[in-house]
Amino acid sequence: MTVKTRPVQNKTSETTPEEKSLWQRLDRWWLLFVGVVVLTLWLTQTRPDPYRRILVYLEDGLRVTVGVTVVSFVFIVLVGLIGGLGRISKNPLIKGVASVYVEIVRGIPLLVQLMFIYYASPIVIRGLGESLAKSWPAMSARLIAIKINPFVAAIVGLTICYGAYMSEIFRAGIESIPKGQMEAARSLGMGYLQSMRFVVLPQAIRMILPPVGNEFVALLKDSSLVSVVAVADLTRRGREFMASTFMALETWLMVALVYLLMTLFLSRIVAYIEERTNYSR
Amino acid sequence: MKELADNIIEIEHVSKKFGRVVALDDVSLTVERGEVVVIIGPSGSGKSTLLRCINHLESVDSGRIVVDGIPLTQAKNIDKVRAEVGMVFQLFNLFPHLTALQNITLAQTVVRKTSASEATSLARDLLAKVGIPEKADAYPAQLSGGQQQRVAIARALAMQPRIMLFDEPTSALDPEMIKEVLDVMLDLAREGMTMVVVSHEMGFVKAAAKRIIFMCEGHVIEETTPDGLSLSACKEERTRQFLGKILS
Repeated sequence: MTVKTRPVQNKTSETTPEEKSLWQRLDRWWLLFVGVVVLTLWLTQTRPDPYRRILVYLEDGLRVTVGVTVVSFVFIVLVGLIGGLGRISKNPLIKGVASVYVEIVRGIPLLVQLMFIYYASPIVIRGLGESLAKSWPAMSARLIAIKINPFVAAIVGLTICYGAYMSEIFRAGIESIPKGQMEAARSLGMGYLQSMRFVVLPQAIRMILPPVGNEFVALLKDSSLVSVVAVADLTRRGREFMASTFMALETWLMVALVYLLMTLFLSRIVAYIEERTNYSR
Repeated sequence: MKELADNIIEIEHVSKKFGRVVALDDVSLTVERGEVVVIIGPSGSGKSTLLRCINHLESVDSGRIVVDGIPLTQAKNIDKVRAEVGMVFQLFNLFPHLTALQNITLAQTVVRKTSASEATSLARDLLAKVGIPEKADAYPAQLSGGQQQRVAIARALAMQPRIMLFDEPTSALDPEMIKEVLDVMLDLAREGMTMVVVSHEMGFVKAAAKRIIFMCEGHVIEETTPDGLSLSACKEERTRQFLGKILS
């Protein structure tokens, strides 16, 4: 090991990342990624049956997994922003509601939450509808007629659960911005929400990009839980294939490889964002 | 009526506590239009708190503050008052994600709804006024402390305030940068801006201050003019002690 000495850098000059040689770029991540790609290709080429067949069968599920993850994530970021602002609110009611939401959701496993929304909440809604039968018949009929769509249940479940964790990330990000920023904005006559929008949040979002990216990767993996509420995602398609062919090893190997390819790729993007945010600070 | 309007800041019997610590205790002070008032005193004497109360960054526990005829009581007034009152902070508090120019244009476009081109041209004028027109596109991290504070002054001036508050504007600066900031402040004072300054820069006090307020433990204990700012002229023992330290 050689001791690296860091050259003293001029404070004002922009530090540009040095051009890395091709060999340096081939780090462990690349080896792993290339390895997984090669393994997948090799399996599908040398033994198209069953591996290629599995892959074709999984394609629909892959689309569902990506769709559920992306749509949920949009809502999760919205809930996280609102929840995070709620957690730092000076209004005790808003703060209380946001805190109770976060505490309850963080204390219940995601799987149980999904089960509750898909299987238990229709009973609650129907009960509500029946109790309104006399006082508000129109609403009552509408409530009783509601059928829970598995996709909606999955997206709602993921959003409620991940929204709570995202709220905490937003709260921490906003709190990491020095108080003087808000004071300076307010002293210029900007309102609270204007100051948040133009001064605090742009800085906070830069700070929280890496953890938000990690949440996305975690969400992609946890979206496999929606297979229990009748959503035909990647995992559920895998189960279906196994049930009809009894090829457990081959099926789950392919499912795992597809997840791994996606998460490896995404975590690389997160690492890149992390590097960028380090440079700017 | 005329007489009332000439007192641009009226502070009446203001008290403020932080928990058990008394920051301000029955402070009264009036500032006339165009006047430069410097507040001095040992740390923890309530100078900054008083300044921050004037644009309601701190709320008062009791008493009344009227700024340019607007009482600082209802929440509705606060943003209106703040737009009229420029504030310069010890640690600049520039917005690090915006360039110097954007720092100056932001509040104009958001609060005053000025058009982008108008805001930009005013911002460029102000940067020229504070002596750094070439730094318009620099980010705060690329500027020296003195340059940052001058951008902060320009940012406050962009709202065309009637009053400027300075909270120890030079305390965080290297000695060689203090002068460039004080020069900008002196120019402002000469133009007739109403200024309330918390600072121990005796050069500025002598050149620009009309009145000097000495605060100690939440009270205004003495008021004097720059001419009276000598050890022998001060009545209070505590003032003499403090001046003895900063004048030497």
